[in-house]
Amino acid sequence: MTNKLSRILLSLLLVLSLALLAACSGGGAPAANEGDQGESATGADEEQMVNLYTDRHYDTDQELYDLFTQETGIKVNVVKGKSDELIERLAREGEDTQADLLITADAGRLHRAKVQGLLQPVSSEVLFNNIPANLRDPENYWFGLTVRARVIVYAKDRVDPSEISTYEDLTDPKWKGKILVRSSSNIYNQSLLASLIAIHGEEKGREWARGVVENMARDPEGNDRAQATAVAAGVGDLAIMNTYYIGKMLNSANPEEVKAAEALGIIFPDQEGTGTHINVSGIGLTKYAKNKENAIKLMEFLSSVKAQQQFAEANFEYPANPAVEPSELLKSWGDFKRQDISLSLLGELNSKAVQIFNEVGWK
Amino acid sequence: MRVLEIKRLYTSVNIWGVLSWVFVLLILLPNANILVNVFSEPNENWDHIKEYLLRQYISNTVLVTSLSGLFAAVIGTSLAWVVSVYDFPLRGFLKWGLVLPLAIPPYIAAYTYNGMLNYTGVLQTFLRNSLNIYIDQRYVDIMSLQGAVFIFTLFLYPYVYTITKAFLEKQSSSLIENARVLGRSPLEVFLFVILPVSRAAIVGGTTLVMLEVLNDYGVVKYFGITTFSTAIFQTWFGMGDVDSAIKLAAMLMLLVFAITMSERALRGRRRFSYTTTKARPISRIRLKGLGAVLASGYTFMIFSLGFLIPTLQLIHWALQTYRRVLGLKFLELTLNSLLMALGSAALIVCMAVVIANYSRISETVIARTNARVTIVGYSIPGAVIAIGVIVVFVALDNHLYWLYRLIDPDTPKLVLTTSLVMLMFAYTIRFIAIAVNSVESGFEKVGKKFFEASRTLGMNVTRTFFKVDLRMIQPALLSGFLLVFVDIMKELPLTLILRPFNFDTLATKSFQYAHDEMIHEAAISSLIIILVSFASIYFFHRVADKEER
Amino acid sequence: MYVEIRGLTFRYKNAAEDTIQDFTLDIRKGEIIGILGESGSGKTTILRLIAGLEIPSRGSVRIDGRTMVDGNTFLPPERRGIGMVFQDYALFPHMTVEANIKFGLHRMDGARRNERLEEVLRLVNLAEYKRRYPHELSGGQQQRVALARALAPEPSLLLLDEPFSNLDRDLQQRIRDELKVILKGAGITSIFVTHDRDDSRALADRVVILRGGRMVEIGDPAEVLR
Repeated sequence: MTNKLSRILLSLLLVLSLALLAACSGGGAPAANEGDQGESATGADEEQMVNLYTDRHYDTDQELYDLFTQETGIKVNVVKGKSDELIERLAREGEDTQADLLITADAGRLHRAKVQGLLQPVSSEVLFNNIPANLRDPENYWFGLTVRARVIVYAKDRVDPSEISTYEDLTDPKWKGKILVRSSSNIYNQSLLASLIAIHGEEKGREWARGVVENMARDPEGNDRAQATAVAAGVGDLAIMNTYYIGKMLNSANPEEVKAAEALGIIFPDQEGTGTHINVSGIGLTKYAKNKENAIKLMEFLSSVKAQQQFAEANFEYPANPAVEPSELLKSWGDFKRQDISLSLLGELNSKAVQIFNEVGWK
Repeated sequence: MRVLEIKRLYTSVNIWGVLSWVFVLLILLPNANILVNVFSEPNENWDHIKEYLLRQYISNTVLVTSLSGLFAAVIGTSLAWVVSVYDFPLRGFLKWGLVLPLAIPPYIAAYTYNGMLNYTGVLQTFLRNSLNIYIDQRYVDIMSLQGAVFIFTLFLYPYVYTITKAFLEKQSSSLIENARVLGRSPLEVFLFVILPVSRAAIVGGTTLVMLEVLNDYGVVKYFGITTFSTAIFQTWFGMGDVDSAIKLAAMLMLLVFAITMSERALRGRRRFSYTTTKARPISRIRLKGLGAVLASGYTFMIFSLGFLIPTLQLIHWALQTYRRVLGLKFLELTLNSLLMALGSAALIVCMAVVIANYSRISETVIARTNARVTIVGYSIPGAVIAIGVIVVFVALDNHLYWLYRLIDPDTPKLVLTTSLVMLMFAYTIRFIAIAVNSVESGFEKVGKKFFEASRTLGMNVTRTFFKVDLRMIQPALLSGFLLVFVDIMKELPLTLILRPFNFDTLATKSFQYAHDEMIHEAAISSLIIILVSFASIYFFHRVADKEER
Repeated sequence: MYVEIRGLTFRYKNAAEDTIQDFTLDIRKGEIIGILGESGSGKTTILRLIAGLEIPSRGSVRIDGRTMVDGNTFLPPERRGIGMVFQDYALFPHMTVEANIKFGLHRMDGARRNERLEEVLRLVNLAEYKRRYPHELSGGQQQRVALARALAPEPSLLLLDEPFSNLDRDLQQRIRDELKVILKGAGITSIFVTHDRDDSRALADRVVILRGGRMVEIGDPAEVLR
């Protein structure tokens, strides 16, 4: 009996797999995927489209793309992945790539894509007007879309916020065993250190990293959010984290997370001095984009007043377009002074930062 | 002259040989592409890695792998022993319930446990809010090396458990009875008879566990532990240094070789898979009183930790979020996952059959090597395979462009590269070793005599294969298929990198949610994966049970 | 001579010594040869070499003037027309008795095939068992099915590997006698290997004594097996 059953099963699977193979080698799109029949990228009469590699995975992004399609008739195809992998994929595909646009979650990576020759400059008045100069590449290879700050959070019940006002204060011996921060393999830390190197020089940067390591409450583990809950749990008193994580915690479905987030205060460091470290998620036009015009249209659309609010709010970030107000939550934290450096420096100094982290033993 | 004639001897073998070679070369191609770079001059970055990082990579990797292997061996073996030798309440259910942790991919387990155990998780919240107990975070710190070992142990021990249990049930009844008759207590029997005798089975299972750990990316990445697999990602993608990443990959491969070699050595010349004689089942000792409580308690605890608790937690989260998350989209995701896994698994099993059959028939060292070489894919981290595959496919598309143009004048150049074929191909590289293994064990069980009988009755190799061999290894094919199927359902890094536009699977969706800190939202897709794996495992064991009879 | 085996030499991979050394034997048509030897003496290997399941390093086998193997030629087993009964019979468990026997008759047309099936079934006295599966038969019956299956394609030579080793003692004697009747009745040339002197005495026209892969004696059973 089993014999018969398994025979039927096996033949069924064989047929299925053949059908699947035929389907995907023939069409270029899986049978299970509706509405993705845009095989021909060059045919002018065909459906207009633009292909996007993105590190953003928010369901609300899709609504924006749909809106874009509605307005322009251009369909948006998306591959989601982690920034680094997408860049590598882009590099490997070379001039044959299908991707027209690349969105990554960090300026350093956009810079790397530029250096690797994966992007091309875009000259668009719309973009120049919408995105401030320091939030885009000096040669216009990429444009920031949303802004986040890397701030210090503290336990409201244990720390007097007047005691700490700069990144440098984190290295003060009085915080020994009190500081929580994630691993140095994370790009946000790398970019933070890169910005400090850019502003204060390599030696200061090294000193800072070493000082933080000495004050750590534990070996780095988990992500930014884990640092925040650890502060709430009393593992340490101070944590370094990106602003949007606080937004996410405050809006969590888990009431405990909300409670933990509410126990935290936020300090925007260096307000008296050089300003708080910011970073962007941004977009670039690929060097070998096949749908260049459509792609630029989408870039312009995403930088527009109409799209910026939702795009930024999806991840509790500040819009890059200064004409757009940040969300209520972000406004409640008040305005803050930002580091006044070109974000492309974050990319240029990235490997220096990584080296320093490794040297001082920031795990 | 003689050479020519000898070649004729193999005419029929040759079809298999050629196919086998083609498959193996295809598997090796993307990897070779990478490995040629191993001997390139080390660059500055490599010196930097060597000076500051390598020690940590090695110590973390070795520590996580060996500890997970050790604990999995202890838990797996003890469970196998308790379940096969004793009778206690719930045994009937737990006997196969203890396999179920395998249905939960470790990365899902990792974020589930973190979600439960962290400060805002259900455990601490309950203690804090209801009992006013504040625990030291260090005791519940899952996002650490110990935590990773905990996860790997709990969700991979079934490899040891199943293999050892099968061995004990099949082989040991007379040994156990003999030892008992000679006046030894059950514990002594375990220590002095069972343990040494089942060494090969335990080592075999433990090796699988360690290979899985070495290859894991999801757990260590989520927990932020730098092991070789995260280091390769980091060096390659983060530092943009392909050469050093490849050097790291090569070191990882050395580690894998070391482990498989030591398996050989430890296993000795024993085989654990099979004996021809039908053994009597062990007559189990019925436990009463404290013994029964202990046995039930221990097995049930492991079952709870490894399956029940995380599943319940996921169900709870799913109930919280289904209104927001669930939709037609999910049907599509599930369909994508299922079709992809079914199709690829079928393909992989077919290829495995060719390779294993050639290895069996030709009996030359080279053919054997062919079958062994397939393990390469199992030992290389998914990300590395992915990059190798992309390179090969882009080249392939360039070569086939003229053909595409014949069919459709304004076709884009990258046809295969943007299709699911590439992903399937990568799955093949990654998982064919599992299928080859099953098929080979199937062949081993059947032996060569039926093949030879058929040859003397005038059937050539190919006809023999279809009329005799294929029918006889059917159960092995089915189990190989199911194993590969489950693995593809759970697969993460390859799918993440190689999928075409707009293509998502349950695994990528779960990981994406989890990584975007939306752990509750990840629950539903995770549960579907678990459900499908659960069904496959159940089916697999039914096949295995029937086969024994 | 009907069967001419000359200087057959064989060494297993990784073995230090030849398993079979310089084995030479001539067989008349219709003769039954018994090869007697301890386990490990290489007797099964000789059968496998003749059947084409192993490739000799030297030597030749010719049957009825047709070269099976020599320095230049190697016929694969399926083209030799040699029948073989395996020690544990190797009956295909997924096929009925009928299908097992017909398995070797794939070159015949349907009518001839059925005819031949009935013939051999009658020969081994199993006509009413053809719908059964191997595991539904007794050891003796299985052995006869294996014999019938090997005989069905009318092989030029029949090889039997320890044909009685899996049978009970008293069954052994009965089957042995049956087998002799069947083989002689069919006039078929055969070689069987055994470790049992009684088998050789009862069944063989001539006996070969094999030790360490070498033929040490050959002759009439009555003389050789004193």
